[in-house]
Amino acid sequence: MSTDNTSRRTVLTALGAVAAAAPLAACGGAASGSGAGEGAQAGGDVVFLIDSLGDTWIPNNSAISSFQGNVWGHVTDKLVHVDADGQVSPWIAERWEQNADATEFTLHLKSGVTFSDGTALDAEAVVANLDHWARGRPEAGINPIGLFPKTYAAASAADATTVVVEFDAPTLGFIPTLGYHGSILVSPATIALSAEQQADLSQDIGSGPYVVRSWKEGDNVVLARREDYAWGPQALGRTGPATLDSITYKIVKESSLRTATLQSGQADVAYNATPQELASLQEAGLEVAVPRYLGFAHGYRLNASVAPFQDVRVRQAFQHAIDREEILSTVYTPDWQAAQSFLQSNVPEATDHSAEFAFDAALAGRLLDQAGWVPGADGKRAKDGQPLAVTLYPNPYLVTSQAIDELVAQQLGAVGFTVDLQLYDVVTYGERVTGNKTLSNYEVTRSFIDVGTVASILTSANGGEDWFGLGEGDETLNQLRDAVAGAVDLDTRAAAVDQLQQHVLEQGLYVPLEQIVQRIYAQTARLKGVTYNGVAYANYYTAHLDG
Amino acid sequence: MDRGYLGFAARRVGQALVVVLLAYVVTFVVISVLPGDPVTNTLRNPENGFTEADVARIVAYYGLDQPVLVQLWESLSRFATGDLGVSLRSNLPVSQTIGDVLGSTAVLAAAALAVAVALAVLIAFGTQYLPVRAQGVLRALPSLFLSVPNFVIGLVLIHVFALQLGLFRVIYPDSAWATSFAALALGIPVSAQLAEVLTAGLDHESRQEYASVARSRGLGRTRLLLRHLLRPSSLPVVTVLALTVGELLGGALITETIFGRTGIGSLVESSVTTQDLPVLQAVVSLAAVVFVVVNLVADLVHPLLDPRVRKPPTRPSAEREVLAQEVSTP
Amino acid sequence: MSGTVTAVRAAAPAPGRRGPRRRGAALPPPTVVLSLIVLAVVVAWSLAPGLFTGQDPVAGVTSQKLLGPSAAHWFGTDHLGRDVFARVVHGTASSVSSALVAVVIGVVVGGAVGLLAGFLGGLVDVVLARVVDVLLAIPSFLLAVIVVSSLGFRTINAAVATGVSAVAVFARVMRSEVIRTRRSVFVEASFLQGGSRTHVLLRHVLPNASRTVLALAVLQFGLSILVIAGLAFLGYGDPPPASDWGLLVSAGKDYPTAPWLVYAPAAVTIATVLSVNRTSRWLRGTG
Repeated sequence: MSTDNTSRRTVLTALGAVAAAAPLAACGGAASGSGAGEGAQAGGDVVFLIDSLGDTWIPNNSAISSFQGNVWGHVTDKLVHVDADGQVSPWIAERWEQNADATEFTLHLKSGVTFSDGTALDAEAVVANLDHWARGRPEAGINPIGLFPKTYAAASAADATTVVVEFDAPTLGFIPTLGYHGSILVSPATIALSAEQQADLSQDIGSGPYVVRSWKEGDNVVLARREDYAWGPQALGRTGPATLDSITYKIVKESSLRTATLQSGQADVAYNATPQELASLQEAGLEVAVPRYLGFAHGYRLNASVAPFQDVRVRQAFQHAIDREEILSTVYTPDWQAAQSFLQSNVPEATDHSAEFAFDAALAGRLLDQAGWVPGADGKRAKDGQPLAVTLYPNPYLVTSQAIDELVAQQLGAVGFTVDLQLYDVVTYGERVTGNKTLSNYEVTRSFIDVGTVASILTSANGGEDWFGLGEGDETLNQLRDAVAGAVDLDTRAAAVDQLQQHVLEQGLYVPLEQIVQRIYAQTARLKGVTYNGVAYANYYTAHLDG
Repeated sequence: MDRGYLGFAARRVGQALVVVLLAYVVTFVVISVLPGDPVTNTLRNPENGFTEADVARIVAYYGLDQPVLVQLWESLSRFATGDLGVSLRSNLPVSQTIGDVLGSTAVLAAAALAVAVALAVLIAFGTQYLPVRAQGVLRALPSLFLSVPNFVIGLVLIHVFALQLGLFRVIYPDSAWATSFAALALGIPVSAQLAEVLTAGLDHESRQEYASVARSRGLGRTRLLLRHLLRPSSLPVVTVLALTVGELLGGALITETIFGRTGIGSLVESSVTTQDLPVLQAVVSLAAVVFVVVNLVADLVHPLLDPRVRKPPTRPSAEREVLAQEVSTP
Repeated sequence: MSGTVTAVRAAAPAPGRRGPRRRGAALPPPTVVLSLIVLAVVVAWSLAPGLFTGQDPVAGVTSQKLLGPSAAHWFGTDHLGRDVFARVVHGTASSVSSALVAVVIGVVVGGAVGLLAGFLGGLVDVVLARVVDVLLAIPSFLLAVIVVSSLGFRTINAAVATGVSAVAVFARVMRSEVIRTRRSVFVEASFLQGGSRTHVLLRHVLPNASRTVLALAVLQFGLSILVIAGLAFLGYGDPPPASDWGLLVSAGKDYPTAPWLVYAPAAVTIATVLSVNRTSRWLRGTG
């Protein structure tokens, strides 16, 4: 019985704390001025409702998660800041240089930066982090950061604030990668902990504007402002402590309950509302943020080694048979943007190639005619007795995926495709669809921080992912890949990326649908000054609550 | 304590240990029937960009590269020393993970049990007091309670009391109000069986000769009920109560999910979707331990309530079962 | 979800006190008549859903989404403008047949285990009894969840899992029935007359024991509907557009402003299970 009593007491205490915090929030909000400047008076508590807080808290294994990433962004800092347009600016690294062939980089760090346990975030600490991101400790259950450049050779501390990083090959993407959500700086003491210890969030020490006040696995994480914080990214126009006193991440699994609670004023932010809910939320006076991440536009990559997509004309017909306007107007709100390429348009190197995938059902029909696919009595096409059949696999990581695929199935059906939908849950999808090279298509939802990533995944070279099933078979693609990967200056690379986009779209290898928004924030209009970084996470460092 | 009793107790404890150990093995076998594990699935996802060597080393860390039998043996030997292993999902020790949520579920289950017993007593006593014509509704209640899915009860309670009346906040499910409603949702179906058994018991006893004698001597209804009928009637109730405890844990799975509580049930739910074997094994074994212990206690309490049973039965469960069957049929 | 063990226990027939008298009457009680009507409607819905609704359960009219119950839409419409009544009617077959699958698995596997244990006795009985003990010690809903997670999240797998979780109960009851019948006078007489084991088993033991088991099976059918609905509610059923009752409730809960999405399929489920339970009680002659 004693346990019962204890937990009941804890419950009551927690309730008391919540009750006491509510009026504080109101006062803090009322006192703070407008704008996100340093003038806003400290105070305010934000309650953030989230569908999950993911699985583990091992920093390397969880930093890129759509869920834990929200917490890491406040508890830790990064070496550089990358904004929503892919612009890189100094943060913990004040400045940097690279050699002519982009194989050696020198980072100059801010001095006086400390982790929340008081130890210094100096060159030695940065070296320890770089090694840890690149290699992890797989034998101890700690993953490397998946997308950290594989060309990483070594890093060393020249002095207390200078780090020299060497690579085996040109790695132009290195500096932007430091602003990637995976590249979070944690204290060397944390790095040295075992997996079990790192999985305990309270033992993970960062240098960010917030520290973990408390957390309960599967339930909530409460962050509290760090008063001696003084090294914010200059791009955000502030360096001192944050304004908000605390941020509470509270798990509420049901989307409808999150938005209902937000509407009732019991919470300030609801994560991942469905697009259908957004209109009514906006009518109710709430604000909706749909930040786009840097990465690939939402779309299908087609497998050119699997029927019926060996024939470029079938791929092109698929490309032109899709009415993207109808998708945007049916499934989304006007907050969503049309795709211009297979890259999101906020990627600095993205260029407009929308002419290559304009909706033209007649053209699609002609292409299929030329390819020998003859429509039958029911309008469905066939060749040599084989139907023109495609199975789509809605991506369980995007809530709108199924609705979109149902619409696409109708549109493709109109030009003679026979389309099936196969729905899987996340686990089964991981087993049967992800990485399955025998499927004719894969629905991509993927972010990156530097366009150099693209080069490593398109073909099978250097352990690449061979996205289009072409292996090394497409000479143009190979050349463009090497031009992107081996570029030593940004202009040359941008030109190569432009050609690459043209080639991939024209060949019907990638079929963009719309610019993806994977993180949807609905929030009270009182919450001001929120920023969104290059991977579309909300950052409350500069935010405050208005009265 | 005579030697026969000690022998009986030793045999029961031995059987209990075997059952718990087998429950652990059964869970392992059920989950491992199909190939594939959550760790490898996640790691092989090309979007992570891990090399095969990295994947192999991480899989080795979790011991998932071993043959299934070796994994089972290692898992069992750990279990035998009281080590429940580490969660594949959260990387936290399973004992810690379960310890963190056990209190919440214990509170919920205890409250639900209280609700169930209170409802059962109300219904059963009601049938003894009300005139025969008015009893119909009360007697039909257990049947209705047994026919309502407990998620429906939970959803209705949330809809009416949280969203419409604003009695409790759905985002603070551990508050006293929210816990009471969760206990109601979990307790109502359980109360049905208790009410049926208790009503049947009271009906049976009140027809006995001694009851008529007592009544003819002018003993008040309440005194008769409390002093004479209740004790023999509660015998099968104890049996059913013991069997019900496991079902409370099963029901908690749904109730905790609906009410957003963090407990054993919601832990199972998240572990199931990620096939977190060590956690599931531990939860199943825990449920088996609870079941076995509670039934052991029921066996030991039995002779105390029933003066006819003097000797500890050799096959207690079987005898209790017959007893339950005999008495529980209205 | 609760109560597989205890409810089935409570269902075992005993010498009825009021039963025979009731059954001797010309007409069953009105509640039983009502229950039989409900069950007849459910059977008809599952066999020929098209006769009861002309509306499409899969394709909706999005402009008519989330409409409350009306003459045009008895149970209202859902978030895609689909007629909820049509979805309930078309989901009946799957809801009912999956419960049947669960009962068949429970009866066949559990019955076989109980029969073997009771009839052969000795070491077989000891080993099987331990296995049944283990299955009984695991809460049936927890067991069902774990089995379905291993098999994959489909309605048919949920039905199998529900059946597996009921095996122990049927095994228990079958075993005790078999032992009781074996010890009875006429079976011993049959042995004395030189009847083979198989003959005795088929001729005497099985028919006698099966009466009890069948009564339990009816009750288990109602319980299975609830368990499978619970699994579907947790998301362990078929993906949309399947419209099993549990799936409908689960999907409906996302729209708190449209409570009919929850209440309509829930009411149908409750009415069905209630009718099954009432009917089984009447069949057992206990009320």
